[in-house]
Amino acid sequence: MTIKVIGFARSTNTLRVISCLNELGIPYQLEPPADFAAIKKDDYLANKHPFGKIPVLYDGDYKISESRAICRYLVSKYQGKYNNTILIPHDVHEAGLVDQFIFYESFYYEPVVAKIIIHEIVLKTPESEIAKRALKDLDKVLGVYDKLLEGKEYLNGEFSLADLFHYPCAHFIYSSHADLWDKRPNVKKWLNRLRNRDAWKASLEKKNKL
Amino acid sequence: MPIKLIGYAQSLPTRRVILTLNELGLSYELEAVTEIHTIKTDDFLANKHAFGKIPVLCDGDFTINESRAICRYLVSKYQKDAKIVLIPDDINKVSLIEQYISYELSYFDPPLTKILLQEVFNKRRGEPIDEAIVKQAREEIEKVLDVYEKILVGKDYLNGEYSLADLFHFPCAHYICTDTQQGDIFDTRPNVKRWLDNLRNRDAYKKTYAE
Repeated sequence: MTIKVIGFARSTNTLRVISCLNELGIPYQLEPPADFAAIKKDDYLANKHPFGKIPVLYDGDYKISESRAICRYLVSKYQGKYNNTILIPHDVHEAGLVDQFIFYESFYYEPVVAKIIIHEIVLKTPESEIAKRALKDLDKVLGVYDKLLEGKEYLNGEFSLADLFHYPCAHFIYSSHADLWDKRPNVKKWLNRLRNRDAWKASLEKKNKL
Repeated sequence: MPIKLIGYAQSLPTRRVILTLNELGLSYELEAVTEIHTIKTDDFLANKHAFGKIPVLCDGDFTINESRAICRYLVSKYQKDAKIVLIPDDINKVSLIEQYISYELSYFDPPLTKILLQEVFNKRRGEPIDEAIVKQAREEIEKVLDVYEKILVGKDYLNGEYSLADLFHFPCAHYICTDTQQGDIFDTRPNVKRWLDNLRNRDAYKKTYAE
């Protein structure tokens, strides 16, 4: 039975899961809900996600939600099965560092980028104080990332789940703030590597089709 | 070489790591950070935590930060020698635990942190408490706890058996009970109350909070 992902191909959280599926070469079907209201209905809350969120993944009868947990599940179960891509290394120390960088993404990077996405793209208020402050914060965060990436192609040396998690958010605001990313040489090269990965290009195709 | 933990024993993320060390029966040295400027130096940023945060764990030559990453690392490395299972082997069970860990990060922690910032940290700094923020955060956490109350029906722990996901939730919840006026949000929900009492009564928790 094919893996089923309930989500919107244009949502950053769903794109995180789609990228992971593509990186590991896992076949799947994307089933978008009717609209955003559908995921707040009682039936969805009772049977899919009690907080009314997407994505939700079904692997046969097994159901799991929360994009980063879903990706960890996919890696645990399918890494190495369809191709040789390693998203979480086997060595306990390297895996620990990938995990550390995943938390950098969760706490220092994603909240800031999410605010910019919400204000510029969803609410269409790019001049709001929140958006302006978030851009300043992002500038500082990218300064830290530029140092982290010194002498490295990816956050932990080799490509990992941590790098994958960062890209979907970046994709949505890169073109309107290219200077912020590009003025940092290591960040610029890193982002370029991520956007040119086959799995990301396949994910984007999905987003643009639906 | 013993494990070294750089942190502040009363800080929530440091507590998360100490709970895990105690559950796994691991000995460690706590290098207490008492002044914030020491974790913002160029050396600390370059070698310990790029964003100038604690805790940081040093295990021999290996350095790792971010409390939840540290805890997962400790479990991966040392659980096989311990008497406890914090992350089981079964993929399906592990993944649900990861899902609950994500719930903690995304839905449980943020509104509780807003309350703590107002009622504990602002108070400590002699700044006024913004009651509107506390009210909004409380409404938010009440909805979240209604979901937890359902998840915990007929269960002592989130995934049935005790796991790292339960441990991650405890420091913030406990701090709300001991240091704010909002502890009733847990007490008025019998399953949530039972869950927290189960945790509070574990030996590792009693040891952690006695220190």
